[in-house]
Amino acid sequence: MTAPEAEARAPKRAGGPRARTPGIVWARRATQTGFLLLFLFLFLQTEQRGADSLGYPVKLFLDFDPLLLFSSLLSAHAVPAALWLSLLLIPVTLVLGRVFCGWACPLGTLNHLAGSLRRWPAKPRTRGWFRVKYLLLIGLLAAALFSAQLTGLFDPLSLLVRSLALGAYPALNVALNGLLDLAYGLKVNWAPALGDALLKAFSATLLAFRQPHFRQGFLITAILLAILGLNFIERRFWCRYLCPLGALLGLFARFGLLKRRVSEECTSCALCDHACQGSAGPGSTQGWKASECFMCMSCEASCPGGSGGFGFGLSPSPEPADVGRRRAVLAAFSGAAAVAILRAAPGPGAGRPAPLLIRPPGALREPDFLERCVRCGECMKVCTTGGLQPTLLEAGLEGIWTPVLVPRIGYCEYNCTLCGQVCPTGAIQKLPAEQKRKVRIGLATIDKSRCLPYAHATPCIVCQEVCPTPVKAIWFERAAVLARSGAAVEVKQPRVDLDLCIGCGICEAKCPVLDQPAITVSSLGESRDPDHQLLLSQ
Amino acid sequence: MANRREFLTRTAAAAAGLAAVASLDPVLRAAPPPWPDLAVVHGADPAKNTRAALSAVGGMKRFVSKGEVVVVKPNIGWDRTPEQAANTNPHVVAALVAMALEAGAKTVKVFDRPCNDPRRCYTQSGIEAAAKAAGAEVSFINDRKFREVAIPGGVAIKAWPLYTDLLEADKIINVPIAKTHGTAKLTLGLKNWMGVMGGSRGRIHQDIGEALADLATVIHPAVTVLDATRILTANGPQGGDLKDVKRLDTIIAGTDVVAVDSYGATLFGLAGPGLAYVAAASRRGLGQMDLNKVRIQTVQA
Repeated sequence: MTAPEAEARAPKRAGGPRARTPGIVWARRATQTGFLLLFLFLFLQTEQRGADSLGYPVKLFLDFDPLLLFSSLLSAHAVPAALWLSLLLIPVTLVLGRVFCGWACPLGTLNHLAGSLRRWPAKPRTRGWFRVKYLLLIGLLAAALFSAQLTGLFDPLSLLVRSLALGAYPALNVALNGLLDLAYGLKVNWAPALGDALLKAFSATLLAFRQPHFRQGFLITAILLAILGLNFIERRFWCRYLCPLGALLGLFARFGLLKRRVSEECTSCALCDHACQGSAGPGSTQGWKASECFMCMSCEASCPGGSGGFGFGLSPSPEPADVGRRRAVLAAFSGAAAVAILRAAPGPGAGRPAPLLIRPPGALREPDFLERCVRCGECMKVCTTGGLQPTLLEAGLEGIWTPVLVPRIGYCEYNCTLCGQVCPTGAIQKLPAEQKRKVRIGLATIDKSRCLPYAHATPCIVCQEVCPTPVKAIWFERAAVLARSGAAVEVKQPRVDLDLCIGCGICEAKCPVLDQPAITVSSLGESRDPDHQLLLSQ
Repeated sequence: MANRREFLTRTAAAAAGLAAVASLDPVLRAAPPPWPDLAVVHGADPAKNTRAALSAVGGMKRFVSKGEVVVVKPNIGWDRTPEQAANTNPHVVAALVAMALEAGAKTVKVFDRPCNDPRRCYTQSGIEAAAKAAGAEVSFINDRKFREVAIPGGVAIKAWPLYTDLLEADKIINVPIAKTHGTAKLTLGLKNWMGVMGGSRGRIHQDIGEALADLATVIHPAVTVLDATRILTANGPQGGDLKDVKRLDTIIAGTDVVAVDSYGATLFGLAGPGLAYVAAASRRGLGQMDLNKVRIQTVQA
């Protein structure tokens, strides 16, 4: 570092020694830590434990997300009761401004931490692109008005749950399982004891019951990493310029009662402006942007003279960012146009139902489902077998990252109702177990050219054995078939009872024809769609 | 491992010796072994039935010695409740755990490799809670702990990965439930070893009789306790419809798993020789399936 640079970096403080970090900043840090830990704890609890319910309100953060509330109301005109909780955030914001962003949002906290990893110049550059997030918000809400729920792609809480569940957490488990493999594989006689001890420690804390694997985990994690990486360009880049929830709260924060006031003793040293996480301009009473302030109090901590402060007052702040009427109209138009363009493509089944689009039990009919699903990934995180996977294009581009059951990865556990329990928007309805057990999500079909009793005169009953319906949906037809030797062999050939099969896919998951199972499930006959039926009686 | 093999060798030798002497000596022949081959206990309380069955066949101390590691292997295969009779009754499992500990066992381990989600099976079956309360170490199957075991003389399978905790136990107590099954017709004692098989075990259904007999040549339980508190008479092995469940309030115990299974078949109106695996095991001399040659003591608990 050259001398002038060092001089530039060293904060010039009127009072000489660095000002002491005020208690309010410690309180904010403690609150941020608490919320982040709570978020991570609830995330880890989003896992099957053996009982019928989870015992923790794992979707709590999503329930408090007003962006999901408003966009769902626009797109689906209905939300589950718990999501109304998010309205509480509005009065909080009307009093305290974007305190959620600065004190509670787990993604905000992660961004805050990431931004602290870099050493910043004394006068960091700010780009002032605040309006982008408002335009994004307008576009998303316009799309929602035209029934396309795309908000979840950008909603910070949905994005964080999804990225952790589908990318970061599976990766962490790969690492932990690698360590366990290493321990158990040591060529010493205490290896099993070491392995057992590690397994116990990991299982009690971070390790998933079974290694989660998700399609597109890489892409989804890369997006989170990119968002965190943006903090190296500007602190809390995402929160300042991109976050649509931040934009929504900013609209209310503009009228917030808690306001920045700078006294006349201020020397305009601008240290607070440079320390500001939101680039909200705390250096002057007039220049302070209420809708951009996270209430993080970094300005207070940086002020050498104690000439700034916060107090309650009534006058609304100036317009939130300079969005501009033309831009707002254009954003709204773009959001609406995006819906039309997305839907101009043929559906994923090209005019027919998509055979592999097996939705979780309780999922609404496809258009209604897409109006609600915010792709938070809660259902995929909690899925007992790991069979619920994010789509890429299976549900069309509009349906990207919505859940689809891939029976070969994991079947739908007959008595499990967890996906419906954790869905924040009711895209997957919360069903009582006895009702869920009757929901048909698809139908099994036997490939006679691969099935042992059909193709190879060899006994096998695995699909029938594992079929969970009380009267099994797979029954046997006894048939005499010829072995190569010419001998007649009696085998039991499995048949699917179309009235009883619920499409859970356990037959496909457990079929001993491992690579390409001889019995597979498609979405045909799914209860949620009266038009997608095979039988006249259904 | 060594302990169990030693025990088995010794028991076999002693039994053979006794039999040889007994057949020669009219006096000894007049004094049969003090316990029956099979105890069949009826009573309202499954735990009491289990205790009565064990004491009828010689008491837990006959099988478990002080300081031993004991595996109690129930069927926890399905995400079903005890009333649905797809898994071993939890009270029966807990009673065996308690008795093994009373007999001086150092550790009693309980595990199974279920077909449904293990967490749901362990919880919904009631076995995890009951066995833990009785003092057992209940653990989920750890895939790293399967070990390839050679099956010399195996007809259908020559080798298979089996669960190390079972292989390393000093004593094994087999505690299956009696229920119907698609290929095997019934699942009883011999079929319970599917729960310690690793790999793609569904393949063994292609020759279930010989495969189960093969397994029985390498897994030697000290005693088999067949739970017929409730039996599943149709749509097994998983069931789900209470109409298929029949309450028998019966426990059958014996050291000869073939005899136990042969008796178990009669609960369903079938006979041991009609079950491929019982017939195969009998043919290989692994036990007695002819119930006329089995001394059965019926007890009302």
